[in-house]
Amino acid sequence: MIRESWSLTVRELKHWYRVKIQVFMTLLQPIVWLGLFGQAFNIGSLVPAPLVPQFFSGAPDYFSFMALGMLAVNALFTCMFSGMSIVWDRRFGFLNKLKVAPIPRGAIPLSRIMATVIRSLIQVSIVLAIALAFQYVPGLTGLSLKAGFSMMDLMGMFFVLFLLSVAFASLFTSIALAVENQETLFGVINLLNLPLMFASAALFPTAMMPDWLRSVADYNPLTWAADALRQFAFVNTAPIHDLAFDIIGLAVIAAILAGVSVLVSRKLLSNR
Amino acid sequence: MTAIVEVENLSKRFSEDVLAVDSISFEVNEGEIFGFLGPNGAGKSTTINMLTTLLRPTGGRATIAGLDVARQQDEVRKVIGLVPQDLTVDDDLTGRENMYLQADLYNVPRAEARKRIDELLKLVNLEDAADRRVKTYSGGMRKRLELAEGLIHRPRVLFLDEPTLGLDIQTRTAIWEYIRELKRNHVITVFLTTHYLEEADGLCDRIAIIDHGRIIALDSPEGLKQAVGGDVLSLGVTSDRDLTEVIRNVPGVLSVKREDGTYRIKAPKGEELTPLVLKAVWDQGATVTSVNLSHPTLDQAFLEYTGRSMRDAEQAGGFDVAAQARAMRRRR
Repeated sequence: MIRESWSLTVRELKHWYRVKIQVFMTLLQPIVWLGLFGQAFNIGSLVPAPLVPQFFSGAPDYFSFMALGMLAVNALFTCMFSGMSIVWDRRFGFLNKLKVAPIPRGAIPLSRIMATVIRSLIQVSIVLAIALAFQYVPGLTGLSLKAGFSMMDLMGMFFVLFLLSVAFASLFTSIALAVENQETLFGVINLLNLPLMFASAALFPTAMMPDWLRSVADYNPLTWAADALRQFAFVNTAPIHDLAFDIIGLAVIAAILAGVSVLVSRKLLSNR
Repeated sequence: MTAIVEVENLSKRFSEDVLAVDSISFEVNEGEIFGFLGPNGAGKSTTINMLTTLLRPTGGRATIAGLDVARQQDEVRKVIGLVPQDLTVDDDLTGRENMYLQADLYNVPRAEARKRIDELLKLVNLEDAADRRVKTYSGGMRKRLELAEGLIHRPRVLFLDEPTLGLDIQTRTAIWEYIRELKRNHVITVFLTTHYLEEADGLCDRIAIIDHGRIIALDSPEGLKQAVGGDVLSLGVTSDRDLTEVIRNVPGVLSVKREDGTYRIKAPKGEELTPLVLKAVWDQGATVTSVNLSHPTLDQAFLEYTGRSMRDAEQAGGFDVAAQARAMRRRR
């Protein structure tokens, strides 16, 4: 199980890093998001300066608030295409080769999930580094972390992003297993992606949302991740949930969705 | 001889009115090259997909090395190798990486895998290209790599689904040579599907002709051809006498027809008969001006059994939903 899954994971990663343009896009995309979105939509300026940390989960400015949400959103964006390779493999017959091999069906989704999680963590590291580096660019706001930000906080952040990536990668891999063609997959991705992103605390504080939306957004895994990240990164006196709640919630949902992907593969990749 | 593949009343019904494979039964002996010959849409790929655990039969049963293809899928998968019709080697990996991936999928120990990969890449003449990405390979090279991949775990039965479809004639000949070499050097059973008569004829020990999901004939290529009516020996003779009776009396001759100075002689075994006929003619003091021995073709055999030629059968089409998609993919 481990050997074939890892081998297939490495295959996925080779597909990714051997296409130079993809690696380039991976670097460019966060710069565009952080640069344009983070700097242009400076909604922090609408709030009286002393109240900013209170509004933005302890962040000293909107950019810092948004940059952490952007880590979670980037994980979502990377994971959205997690199952794309399954659709291609189905189309080119490679999936049949895997189906004929004496491997557990679950190795097929799990390898994609692992590869996506690795890519996602690489991508968020880049986003984090760029957000921090903005401090040193004249005219830009950068990400400022709390005084006394420690290695443990950083590891905590990566653990949260790991769980979030497992959850989303599993979700989108299961969807890809179930749909037959890429057009449908794109449709489903688009349908899920924007509501997940906007009905969350990733880019805007849920406190500013209408009640009905907030009650949804507060239970969006993206909110849990963003909320947990901000508790690690800032001195956050008014979190949405307890840190433990966020992390356990993410862990449970990651485990469930990963399990579902294995079940779906057993059902859909066995012969009919 | 022991049977390694045993198929009993195997059927596959895709829907109410699509019965792709209709209760077929046959056995494949260990060590033989067994061919499934038929037009596109005859049920060849459906059968191979059932035998390789990709499709679940809707009726009957099939075993490979005593293992049931429906109930013992994982065990079956370990003893078979499949070279699919589509080119499924990974474009973005090198040839060698593709081989290692396959070795991992079949859990071939790493050190052993290294040895076998070198061996197999040599067998299919890809040593020099092994470390290039597959995207730079020609269609024939991909197919050869695919063949090598199918052998990495030393399968007892190798399934080749249309191994030479869409390849040029040289590559086709090369693939046949690899298959023959494989049989010479290893104990392996090869099950192949094809709609090339020449391929079935030159390669297979036994051939099943399949049409509309049913096996309509099963024999050695020679046997199938014999059934059509044996060889035809055409003899040009200069003589003032009619030698028809003389030739008819040679043992083994089925019939003789005289057209001007040419005698058309039908016989089951042309090679053995030719010297006897020549001797009989010479003994009469006649001069032989031309000799032409022709063997019946599988095409004739196919016509005989199905009532239509392979080409007509192809054009008539059949159940083959995937064919279009495959053709499109191959064009990439």
